[in-house]
Amino acid sequence: MREYEAVIARVEELARGLGLRWDPVVFRMSEVEEIAEVASMGLPNRFVHWYWGGAYKELRLQQDKSLLSILELVLNSRPAYAFLRRSNTYLQNVLVIAHVYGHADFFANNHWFRKSNKNMLNEAERHARTFRQYEAQYGRETVEQLLDSCLTVASTVNAFERDPTRRRRRLVYFLEEHAPLEPYEREVLQAVREEAEYFDLIQRTHVTNEGWATFVEATLLRELLSAREWAEVCVHLCARPTPYTLGYALFGAIRRRSGFEGALEARRYYEDVRLIDETLTQDLVDRLDLFVYDPRDRSRNTQVDAVKEMLIEQKLYRGEPRVEVEDPDHPRDLVLVHVEEGRKLDPRRIALYLKAVHRLWRHPVRLRANGKLYTYDRRGLSTA
Amino acid sequence: MRIHRGRIAQHKHDELLRAYLKQNLHELIQQKELVVDGKVKTQLTTLDLPTLRYGDEEAYLAQGAGAGGGGGGGEEGVQPVGGMLGGDHHGPEVRVELDFEEFVRLAQEVLVEELELPSLQRPPRGGEVETEDFPELDDLDRIGLAADLNLEETLVASLLRNVRERGVLDFDVDLRQDGWYFVEDPSASRNHRSLEVYVLDISGSMRGDYLALVRKTIFLLWYALERRYPTNLRRYVVFQDVAEEKTREEFFSVESSGGTHISAGFEKALEMLEGVSEYDTYLFLFTDGETSSGDFELAKRKYEEALDRFDLVCYGHVNPGSRGVGGFSEYVQEVARKRSNATFANLVDLDSVREALRQFLARVDGGGKARCGSTRRSSRGWRS
Repeated sequence: MREYEAVIARVEELARGLGLRWDPVVFRMSEVEEIAEVASMGLPNRFVHWYWGGAYKELRLQQDKSLLSILELVLNSRPAYAFLRRSNTYLQNVLVIAHVYGHADFFANNHWFRKSNKNMLNEAERHARTFRQYEAQYGRETVEQLLDSCLTVASTVNAFERDPTRRRRRLVYFLEEHAPLEPYEREVLQAVREEAEYFDLIQRTHVTNEGWATFVEATLLRELLSAREWAEVCVHLCARPTPYTLGYALFGAIRRRSGFEGALEARRYYEDVRLIDETLTQDLVDRLDLFVYDPRDRSRNTQVDAVKEMLIEQKLYRGEPRVEVEDPDHPRDLVLVHVEEGRKLDPRRIALYLKAVHRLWRHPVRLRANGKLYTYDRRGLSTA
Repeated sequence: MRIHRGRIAQHKHDELLRAYLKQNLHELIQQKELVVDGKVKTQLTTLDLPTLRYGDEEAYLAQGAGAGGGGGGGEEGVQPVGGMLGGDHHGPEVRVELDFEEFVRLAQEVLVEELELPSLQRPPRGGEVETEDFPELDDLDRIGLAADLNLEETLVASLLRNVRERGVLDFDVDLRQDGWYFVEDPSASRNHRSLEVYVLDISGSMRGDYLALVRKTIFLLWYALERRYPTNLRRYVVFQDVAEEKTREEFFSVESSGGTHISAGFEKALEMLEGVSEYDTYLFLFTDGETSSGDFELAKRKYEEALDRFDLVCYGHVNPGSRGVGGFSEYVQEVARKRSNATFANLVDLDSVREALRQFLARVDGGGKARCGSTRRSSRGWRS
């Protein structure tokens, strides 16, 4: 780490000059394996589940060969932990360091992030320990099945939802409140829901966060690097995944419109939906070569409205079907409704999904979708 | 000490994957194109939590090729960007793919367990290793290959013999009498080498259950052989009216068509013997035995020739319908009773595969005794 001390000091100085403010950042030199582990689980020390195993395997394979390998990782905690990859070149790590300060500034100043739980590292560790204890107490298999169910319903969280009546229609909150769970089961569900909210926030600000970090990185590096180094770096910047390049382009557009001050303002108040809605133009869509692709007739729609609508829908619902609790005030029966009736749900997954919900609800679970009423009870799935 | 949570998660994930494969091995293994680009594709989309998905193929957000998007395949020049934006499941689903080696390993595990075969110890080096990987030659023997001739010892031997027999100090080398060769030290290494020729009948009738049975048998053969021959050379031949050598990948992705000329298969297999005199040689031929009527006599002659030149000729009569053994197979069944280096297996189901393997392994473990029928004997012989 010593060789980076000077450059870190220089980056901090430049960043402060730009008007960035952040909580302390702790850098850590780490091996590829550790980075893949944290990236697949989302948090270090998180409870172990088979679901992360697939991602971990994939990342391990990618790390060695592909351009898409993860160069860096920062955690939204206080202090912020940043992982540098030991196998990076010096220049790559300088890039990473500049990028990290973009994230750290975003974590500390963005309206949504300021209120987020900065103690998630310890929380995750505590959850993991509790789950391990329950595994010993109630059996590994029981806890694993419980976790499968909890993780399945946990995707119904929304970190932005403030309205309590709307919140009660969300399955995970409904179950937490009304399901006939053992105390330990409720605790597990609660813990999984808390972690899911933490990740939901990250997901809903992904483009803004990465865009801002890349934008800061580029601004700092132009000051920091020689022309030749800068040219080398530009290749890296262009090869980043879509959220990075999209967010970067959007912040660039804001700066052209209202200066660096405007960009600072945007990073304080925006999340992805607003950033995309207000800033994405036809020109940017064309430059980024974004389009809505329809595999049925292989057509491409490059209209900004279509692209924007699809992006925003993904941001709002993650492309997952919207299923709500029909009547949260009568918690005896659980009836779920697929909100967009016109769209068909994959019938193969319905039984498995309802089984997972039934595991928590214990009583019959119904789902209105595909023009049918599915019921899952002790005897299994039936359709009416 | 660091807990490797990533690895633990991966282990759990792979356990589940194994369970899936176990349930579906029979279907997976009969895919006509088992290996594509070194990978085995499964119908399993991902090992996933049972969340709900949309059923129909729908339009999704994409970016043009050359952009830094990622994720699954799809149309050329169309990179789905959904996954990158967090939790989105639009676009072509990524199917679980396994490296062929991994698939074989898993299949072997499943089959060994199913057949209750003894699990054998792994050799220090595994898999298909071709000729570059010679065993270390650090001992001397009077019999060996010209290339491994030890000049110093040979010249000394020649000198002594000439003094003794003719009374002259002369280096008149007679290799048959003086030759000393570098060989493996048998106490230091158990490296046997084998040439395995796999010959597969791909005439019209060969598909589905037929392929499943052949492939399972081959995987189990590998399981047994790899533990004996860490350095083996495998060659693959397919035949219908004519025979062709194939790569491993092509061998496991066959299109069945045409008539049956078993003689062509044997003939091609015999060609594979060129230049591999120091190997233990095995021929495995899989067919339904219905050779064209005009080919019968020629096939007999070629089979005899193969018996003379291979250390062991295993003939698998693939018969998933459990009909009687007729045609050319009947003839081979007769011969195999008399010849010690011939085996005949009527492959009806997995149980009969076990019987076939048992027979085969008995020949292998019987060592020299079983090999008396062979007219050619490799200098290295069996060291078991």
